Amino acid sequence: MSRLTKQQIADMGGEAALPRKSGELVFLDPWERRVFALAIALCEEGLYRWDDFRDRLIAEIEVAEPSAGPDAPASALPTYYEHWLAAFEKLLIEKGICTPEQVHSLTAGLRG
Amino acid sequence: MSTEHSHGRHATAPNPQLEKRLTPEQTQALDARVKALESVLVAKGLVSPASLDKLAEIYEHDLGPMNGAKVVARAWVDPAYKQRLLTNATAAIAELGFGGLQGEHMVVVENTPTIQNMVTCTLCSCYPWPVLGLPPVWYKSAPYRSRSVIDPRGVLREFGLELDESVEIRVWDSSAEIRYMVLPERPSGTEHMSEEELAALVTRDAMIGVARVNINQKATS
Repeated sequence: MSRLTKQQIADMGGEAALPRKSGELVFLDPWERRVFALAIALCEEGLYRWDDFRDRLIAEIEVAEPSAGPDAPASALPTYYEHWLAAFEKLLIEKGICTPEQVHSLTAGLRG
Repeated sequence: MSTEHSHGRHATAPNPQLEKRLTPEQTQALDARVKALESVLVAKGLVSPASLDKLAEIYEHDLGPMNGAKVVARAWVDPAYKQRLLTNATAAIAELGFGGLQGEHMVVVENTPTIQNMVTCTLCSCYPWPVLGLPPVWYKSAPYRSRSVIDPRGVLREFGLELDESVEIRVWDSSAEIRYMVLPERPSGTEHMSEEELAALVTRDAMIGVARVNINQKATS
């Protein structure tokens, strides 16, 4: 485990900051924990830098907010780990790790 | 000594990210999507299911207190920084690029030969995670939370820190608004060390105040 990567992940601030409660990471469902680990695992494999992922995560969050409207209730916005998943899927395609077909065949169940 | 706070002050503002608001159907769809993605990546030989289990666990339990150690080392080598740290810790910590506090203020308390500071949270487990990482399991345990205020000397003894009766122990009770960190004493014999080498000596426990910094002991995390 690279200490640097760990620190970069722990240090993500602003909108990209990991959801926490009293310092504890919060996962509401098993899939959130799973997709969290997947994004870190491939970074640890050297397939991309953590910044690559973080930038896409921030982009996902920033795109979602205005499109839902400034007064949209929080419940109308995707959750943090939905953004995380969307960012991860895009990164897989951009880095040529997966083909768009491999990723998009799975997104039929995407809400919205 | 700050041992009083109402339970209400511990309640943080509702964070929409911490509330479950997906329907069971949405959850199921997302679960299927992540599982499918995982099986593609496993088939490519890029990840193994066992390593994924481990990874999440490591992050949940073991984020290192590296930021706090850098803050301490800077304060040891730079008296002006130390002054700023003790006056306005939130700003001084932000100077080093460590943020992520969610509205809490940081207060740094300095150990001296006659004062040992110790941080606790009697009501829950408030903890300065941006500087100290994730809290250790014992910090959240009921015995530590209650006994740290009733019998701090006894608790420190159990941590292996035997203090002379003349040393005053100050216990700082964290809350949703204020998070404390201890500035440990710089051990003698470290005058030749660089800031980086000093940071490597600083342990999480020393910054919670249940240990001292030992020149022979490298911080682990």
